[in-house]
Amino acid sequence: MPLRLLKYALSREHPAPRFFRACEKPKDSYDVVIIGGGGHGLAAAYYLAKDHGITNVAVLERGYIGGGNTGRNTTIVRSNYLTPEGVNFYNASVKLFEDLSQDLNLNLFYSTRGHFTLAHTESAMRTMRWRAEVNKHVGVESYVVGPDEISKACPQLDISCSGQAPIHGALYHAPGSVARHDAVAWGYARGADQRGVEIYQNTEVTGIDVQGGKVRGVHTSRGYIATNKVLSAVAGFTPRVCKMVDVQTPIVIQPLQACVSEPMKPWLDTILVSGSLHVYVSQSSRGELVMGSSLDPYEVHSTRSSLDFVEGLTSHILDMFPFLSNIKIVRQWAGMADITPDFAPIMGKTPVDGFYLDAGWGTWGFKATPISGKSMAETIANDKAPELIHSFRLSRFEEYELTGEKGAASVGH
Amino acid sequence: MSMRLPKQNGEWINRSKPVKFTFEGMSFEGFEGDTISSALWAGNEHILGRSFKYHRPRGVLSLANHDVNVMMTDTVDTNMRGDVVAVKAGMKLAAVNTEGGVKNDRNRYMDKLAKLLPVGFYYKAFHTPKSLFPFWENIIRKAAGLGVVNFNYPRILKRKTHRHCDLLVVGAGPAGLTAAIVAAQSGLEVVVADENAQAGGSLTYDRAGSPEPLSQLQELMAQVAQHPNITLITGAYAAGYYADHFVPIVRADGIVKVRARAVIVASGVFEQPPVFRNNDLPGVMLGSAAQRLIYRYAVKPFSSGVVVTANAHGYRVALDLLQAGIKVNAVVDLRADGESSALAAEVARKGVAIRKGSCVYEALPQSGNMGVRGVSVCAYDEKTAEADTANIETIECDGVAMCAGWAPAAALLYQAGTAMRYDGNVHQFVPERLPQGVFAAGKVNGVYKLEERMRDGARAVAEAMRHLGMDAPAVEVAAHSESSPSHPYPVVPHPNGKNFVDFDEDLQVKDFINAAKEGFDNIELMKRFTTVGMGPSQGKHSNMNAIRILARIRGVAPEKIGTTTARPFFHPTPIGHLGGRSFHPHRLTAMHAWHEAAGAVMSEGGVWVRPAYYAKPGMSAQDIVQDEAMSVRTAAGMIDASTLGKIEICGPDASHFLERFYTGSYGSQKVGEIRFALLLDEAGVVVDDGVAARIADDKFYVSTNTANAAAVYREMQRWLQKWQLNVWLINVTGAYAAMNLAGPNACRILSKLTSDDISEKALPASHFMEAKIAGVTARVLRVNFVADQAYEIHVPAPQARGVWEAIMEAGAQEGLRPFGTDAQRLLRLEMGNHLVSHDTDGLTNPFEIGAEWALRMGKPFFVGQRSLKIIAKRSVTKRLVPYVLDEGYSGEMPQECNLVINAAGEIKGRVTSIAYSRSAGRVIGFAYVDPADVAPGSRFQVRADSGAMVDATVVKTPFIKSSKGDQA
Amino acid sequence: MKLLKCPVNGVRPLSEFVFGGEVREMPDPNTCSDQEWAGYVHHRNGAPGMKKEWWYHGPSGTWFIAERDTMRDEVARTYLYGQEDKQ
Repeated sequence: MPLRLLKYALSREHPAPRFFRACEKPKDSYDVVIIGGGGHGLAAAYYLAKDHGITNVAVLERGYIGGGNTGRNTTIVRSNYLTPEGVNFYNASVKLFEDLSQDLNLNLFYSTRGHFTLAHTESAMRTMRWRAEVNKHVGVESYVVGPDEISKACPQLDISCSGQAPIHGALYHAPGSVARHDAVAWGYARGADQRGVEIYQNTEVTGIDVQGGKVRGVHTSRGYIATNKVLSAVAGFTPRVCKMVDVQTPIVIQPLQACVSEPMKPWLDTILVSGSLHVYVSQSSRGELVMGSSLDPYEVHSTRSSLDFVEGLTSHILDMFPFLSNIKIVRQWAGMADITPDFAPIMGKTPVDGFYLDAGWGTWGFKATPISGKSMAETIANDKAPELIHSFRLSRFEEYELTGEKGAASVGH
Repeated sequence: MSMRLPKQNGEWINRSKPVKFTFEGMSFEGFEGDTISSALWAGNEHILGRSFKYHRPRGVLSLANHDVNVMMTDTVDTNMRGDVVAVKAGMKLAAVNTEGGVKNDRNRYMDKLAKLLPVGFYYKAFHTPKSLFPFWENIIRKAAGLGVVNFNYPRILKRKTHRHCDLLVVGAGPAGLTAAIVAAQSGLEVVVADENAQAGGSLTYDRAGSPEPLSQLQELMAQVAQHPNITLITGAYAAGYYADHFVPIVRADGIVKVRARAVIVASGVFEQPPVFRNNDLPGVMLGSAAQRLIYRYAVKPFSSGVVVTANAHGYRVALDLLQAGIKVNAVVDLRADGESSALAAEVARKGVAIRKGSCVYEALPQSGNMGVRGVSVCAYDEKTAEADTANIETIECDGVAMCAGWAPAAALLYQAGTAMRYDGNVHQFVPERLPQGVFAAGKVNGVYKLEERMRDGARAVAEAMRHLGMDAPAVEVAAHSESSPSHPYPVVPHPNGKNFVDFDEDLQVKDFINAAKEGFDNIELMKRFTTVGMGPSQGKHSNMNAIRILARIRGVAPEKIGTTTARPFFHPTPIGHLGGRSFHPHRLTAMHAWHEAAGAVMSEGGVWVRPAYYAKPGMSAQDIVQDEAMSVRTAAGMIDASTLGKIEICGPDASHFLERFYTGSYGSQKVGEIRFALLLDEAGVVVDDGVAARIADDKFYVSTNTANAAAVYREMQRWLQKWQLNVWLINVTGAYAAMNLAGPNACRILSKLTSDDISEKALPASHFMEAKIAGVTARVLRVNFVADQAYEIHVPAPQARGVWEAIMEAGAQEGLRPFGTDAQRLLRLEMGNHLVSHDTDGLTNPFEIGAEWALRMGKPFFVGQRSLKIIAKRSVTKRLVPYVLDEGYSGEMPQECNLVINAAGEIKGRVTSIAYSRSAGRVIGFAYVDPADVAPGSRFQVRADSGAMVDATVVKTPFIKSSKGDQA
Repeated sequence: MKLLKCPVNGVRPLSEFVFGGEVREMPDPNTCSDQEWAGYVHHRNGAPGMKKEWWYHGPSGTWFIAERDTMRDEVARTYLYGQEDKQ
């Protein structure tokens, strides 16, 4: 047992302090107000304080921290995207993730497992090669592998998928990882709090005060707060916040569902994704299979579950792993995803001066948590977006310069 | 020693059918009707499992699938819930998650390490030094998890059936059964589902020593049996509530998906454990579990027990124990005032000591925590929730029944969107605002008295009937007027802990206190940090106490804490049940059987299956494909093109419609002409291409790519609605089959089968005619996609096989052979034709693929036109070009999607098509390159898989010489 | 599975339908600015509320309009395009 745990055995009182203060009454004004206490908002707060010395910051969270998509995703971290811009961005996130447990002094269970995107058709194989080539070009370890290599990493996988959709090969992505999603939010909250950032839970933003095209403050359920800089980091609620400042975006909300099995002893060491079967699956450190599928096919602003989702998903899981027939699904849930037309986020400045957007996170938000926080902190501090996120600017839509991720992200968790 | 009681009236076991099985290597005998747990308990076996984290011995807690103390493997299956899984002859059972057997589990030392494992310990350590994390992670992963998966477990197909009814009643207890009877009497068709093997709910076990409940149940069941309108499904749980009253009922053999017009949730309550030290010892169980053992399975829960209680139920349990001949040494009542009802007097009259205002401070363990040897009892202050340990008395016993209160089984109500409130009268969350068509009745609704529960069932039916537009009388249900069925805070602190709240996750009171200290003082955060309620029983026995503890920590009412979200499933549901049979439907063409007989190797295209090539013994696929292609160049080949989308556009505005829908010009198109049809989306992105044949003034016949047929037809229909043109659309994709006969001998072959003039002169390229081919009226299209000399022959699908065979026969002497999609891809490439979605992607505009010629920008409108005007102002960043590799190139063959890299090492594009062409004698293809490098003769480099750079040269298309000149 | 009422075929399970997005007014391509057009093509009214949407009943090939509360996922009414007032 690590010595770090000894103090818990030796002291009478529980020796751990609060992760973050229980803030109740906001000040009249802040240098920066962050809407959304999820991983992204808290990471932005953390890097504002740590990298830029900006600590007069309030994070406003409608519910509880990490309660939105941070706590609802399937915790996969990877950078095997299709465009060089995408790969570079997510690779920077992977690099931050790799040291994040030490940086935040909290064990995030960041576990590098390797990630296979299975291809069941020749055209899927082409896309895998495309991604592999771009990844290699940027220095990310991804390559196309054949069925034998997949079987070696996951001998339990039925390569023929019950004869229904034989696997031709896969894109193997060595850095693919999973992490404890909640802890990411808690770690950033603690780090930000320690540096002076104030976190307000159960605090709803009801309006944003814009005068002359500039942000002046926010109206909240705890009163008015003056500020010149507001970051919206509310994936799933972006259209509602953007409406407050009359900023147009392409974002529509679609639910993304997931489910989890009961715990079993570890057997699945890798992360598997199948585009054709609309499945992604990994085994958590608790022993549960964490599984997801594609987006629900229409706009809904709720986190209700559907039976067809879990019927379809489990049917395909059985194609891959026929022996799971009597393993039980414990729970299903859903998150609301900000969907953009080019499967890439929307980050940076907006037509409203002082209103910054960290949005459009679709199904790829969790893996970007550290780098989006860092990039948005830099954007806010300098009032200028760094080159790394230039491709993700809101104005790309008016400029007809959509990112090219569309090809790879049909199922790309 | 057997714990089996003499026959109990209404027992569920069949004593004439003994069942022999083994557990952990020891032999046992139960009866048909026993669960694994009840049979083992009858055999005086109390150590049925080990806890998840501390590996403490565990026995029966709820005997109702509200906990997972008893998780078994039978060497085939795993994570079997012993409390509810029927025991079967020959089972070889063992507890999961032990090392060295359940009794001598080598991991039992974990219990001693508890202090080193504070709540959330795994967040606080193991990450430094970073290099050691994989080591620790491996240990933690292996320690976690429950059963071991059997990789040889068969894929079991479970049946799925659908059922429609007026009213679904969830739960066949007194409230549910009454509701079903009343509703059926009113003419409604009712489905009642209950998870237990037999209906009756609490009437099957909660009897207070009286025969009355059983006769009440028999009376209800007699009425149910009389009603043809009632379908009673037992051994089946309602797994979740989904939109529009859709409820999957899960039973051993499959799922019944019920669509109801209204739903009554009469699902009852889960008994909640009072929290005191060692409340998890084998022998310490919920009062309802003791009752279930006695009445359902005729098993003594223990021989000499203590009842710890805080409600009337404890007294009912005491009477049930006494009735079964079990010694009750004391009833320990947390409440200062004790129980005021007649039950208390009856218990006292039977000589049982009642300790009011007292608590069980701790259960005293037998050696190794293998059982309970007594309890220590002392005074308890309900206000402060403190035990007064000044006077502790030990009462010997070998079992404890715990009765402190209940939590509603409200999962379905939550999923339906019910707002719940905390009712201080019953100290329970009850529905406050129910969604349309969903009703609650009985204990889940906060109604406890038996006759009122039954009345509540009738009341719910009356409301459901009004919801369904029927008249129904008002039914009054009396408010709860007796002592609260639940104690507001049945928690006894102990300095040494091990007072469990969540038995799945081994969570003690101090874990909650410490979690709150660390800031996780919101119920959702507390859940996520402590993992309360996240185990396999999903908080059924733990969430309510967690809420009470958090409320106490924060000094607020439980109402202020709220509840966590109850998501499906009510009970964990097997993947095999949910997945059922998997469906991968495919469409087959009219010629499919012919292809199979001809040795075709199939590939998928959209929903279709079609030949990729026709196998030849001893030949590689590559050689076959080259041969198939070569026969088209030198003689003739034919491909089944039935998978093309085919749409008829009819009506006076047909050409006008096409003008708006596609980029080209159709108004001027003459009857008999064929024109290219390029489709964009509103953003100007290329989404499909095909051809449009004008077959009459007011009728066009349009083809689409195989994968896009449905989507193009759908978009056509939508635009048609918006434009309100006088046009009708017919999707004839399935109605017409098509075959493409191509090659220098094509015309000659076809001429043998028709008296119509199909010569080059009568039917030149890009023209259409109707002709009788082999006696079948066919649409013949000259489309030079794969060859200059090519005839697309479209015939009604039922006649297609005959036409295909006639052509094959006619061509037998002309070198005709069938070819598949692989050769087709090569042939179209040789012709310089790009493929949408192969040579384009989701963002490609027409300028990037050199399709400017297909755009009639001067038209008033076409879909995507306005966007193209914007895009045209911007510079193109990449362009698709035809290229060849150097003559005689023999190095590493680049693959499709290898990148085009410039001298500076930057990505400039990618290869989209590449193939060796025997006709061209070169490797040819399409690639996106820098717009500066598009002139024929420009050189660019492709990086192959290995990293080797391969030179390529831009050329003009077609790659091969026109076959017209070569024709004999 | 949710139910949806096709104005032609009646109440059917949702799996038979395809969502076609919100009904949106196309600006006049001849008079609008590039920016307006780009906004029309790319931007969406993503905030929740009662919306008029395109839905397609696949088996019968019927497009129709549904007025749906996207927050509660409740359909108030459905009708064929252009027949709003005939309801």
